Amino acid sequence: MYASESARAASASEARYRITVPIAPARAARVIALDARAAAVTRRVAGGPWANARFYTCEVTRGAGGSNEPAGEVPLYGLDGSPAALGDVLNGTDVVVVLATDDSGRAYAAAIGRACSASAITTAGVVLGDGFEAEDAVAALRPHARVLLLSADESDVFELLTALRV
Amino acid sequence: MLRQDINELLTQTGPGTPMGDLFRQYWIPALLAEELPEKDSPPVRVKLLSERMLAFRDSEGRYGLVDEFCAHRGASLWFGRNEGSGLRCAYHGWKYDVTGQCVEVPSEADNSSFCQNVKLTAYPLVRVGDVLWTYMGDPAKQPGLPEFEFAHVPPEQTYTSKRWQQCNWLQAFEGGIDSSHVTFLHSGGLKNDPLFKGAKGNEYNMKDTKPFFEVADSEGGLFVGARRNAEEGSYYWRITPWVMPAFTMVPPRGDHPVHGHFWVPIDDENCWTYSFDYHPVRPLTTAERQAMIDGHGVHSKNIPGTYRPAANMDNDYLMDREAQKRGDTYSGVAGIAMQDASLQESMGPIVDRTKERLVPADSGIIKARQKLRKAAIALRDEGVTPPGVNPAHHRVRSAAVVLPQAESFLDSCRDAVTAIPGVPQSSV
Repeated sequence: MYASESARAASASEARYRITVPIAPARAARVIALDARAAAVTRRVAGGPWANARFYTCEVTRGAGGSNEPAGEVPLYGLDGSPAALGDVLNGTDVVVVLATDDSGRAYAAAIGRACSASAITTAGVVLGDGFEAEDAVAALRPHARVLLLSADESDVFELLTALRV
Repeated sequence: MLRQDINELLTQTGPGTPMGDLFRQYWIPALLAEELPEKDSPPVRVKLLSERMLAFRDSEGRYGLVDEFCAHRGASLWFGRNEGSGLRCAYHGWKYDVTGQCVEVPSEADNSSFCQNVKLTAYPLVRVGDVLWTYMGDPAKQPGLPEFEFAHVPPEQTYTSKRWQQCNWLQAFEGGIDSSHVTFLHSGGLKNDPLFKGAKGNEYNMKDTKPFFEVADSEGGLFVGARRNAEEGSYYWRITPWVMPAFTMVPPRGDHPVHGHFWVPIDDENCWTYSFDYHPVRPLTTAERQAMIDGHGVHSKNIPGTYRPAANMDNDYLMDREAQKRGDTYSGVAGIAMQDASLQESMGPIVDRTKERLVPADSGIIKARQKLRKAAIALRDEGVTPPGVNPAHHRVRSAAVVLPQAESFLDSCRDAVTAIPGVPQSSV
């Protein structure tokens, strides 16, 4: 006999009666690497068992690009090297995870962040490194990224995507 | 979302489990000093990390934490007599000292050496501040005593309470690094609670209900920064430190005392929530201390003579739908502590994290789980000492600051998040 409805409802035995249905992947994620090391991480992570995640690199990861924000459409590339426009990449997505390890992609960070904000797409930034080699990239992402994870641990990217059910 | 095997790894803290071994690397709160107020106080049952023990204070005032049960026939020593520098079992008179050593077996010959071979498992029990701390791990690896600031400021500047929470430690702890719930669940408290209200920071909290987060490693765990819009060109940052395994601090509000928690597993379905308030540079006022005793702020009003909250799951947390409708409280449950506990307990004894749908704003929780899991595995597989064991890692503070938008909270707040004796907290 339980003293209250709350006590009964919170019991282990009642937990058995929670409705169980398969949980479909909730998010159509896009993961974008902002620099060469981030691209290498992205390639490793992309081999995971993702349902709806798609992975891209940007111009600076190919040795091109610069510190200035790209004029017009932001050029991205699929992991197979195929070009893709940011606008097309963002179509149909609801979360973008941006990876950076240094400041070389700061201009792209700002452009991607702004585009996501304009399209009401939640943006998360993962900045990998022991020091603060990516301060400018962090600053560029800060106004737009709902969360910035500053970490020395590459596996955080995998954990974040797993937790988000992408 | 968390795989079931990882959920089990993080939530099971009994002897021989990876998380249990992890917790046994640290000094953890065992009970409040007020529970053993004097020499030969009545002994107190203590269950920690799924081990049942008995705490007592002998005739010399020494503290002991020993196996609850007599080595003779397994009777509880809670019924024992605490006298003559030892605890005597009420059944057949076997007597133990604070180290668990049996010092007398009345049925044996007067000069028998039998009792020298009888020793109960015992752990050190040491007072630091208002808390009695224990270390349940390998004696050879016992670290230095805790250096958390709340336990080291003068007694008139600090207050600690505890309450029984009827759920696994992890879901309780996770509330401590989840800053985004404050704007909703605790909105009433920001307006009305005597230990919260009146701060400028509360206005930022209430105006911007969609905080942005930054999560960064610290030596002992994490810093979680929650950012809200402040005046033009600036952000209001609330910075929450987590020191592994289970110590968190709540960012301060105005000149109110600073507060925080330490979550300690009792067993896998219950935990103790230790809640503290302190001011780094001044005594608590009479009104502040009374408010804490009355269960305001992060504290709870407990059933007299117990550490069970007066509002608990057996009385539906004294749910008040009218107060909810009026907006006095957001959930209908009064008090910040029980607002948290009611929802965390409602998840069930151990929440099934395979069914979660986390969002990027939960990154602090995601990262903390990852750090706990990695630390537990590194300890198990390679004997690596986890973060937070070193007492230097305890010297952290929470902070609430307004910064120019371009500034990093980590760069700008290094001093603010370091506990420096005699220096006031950084608070808005």
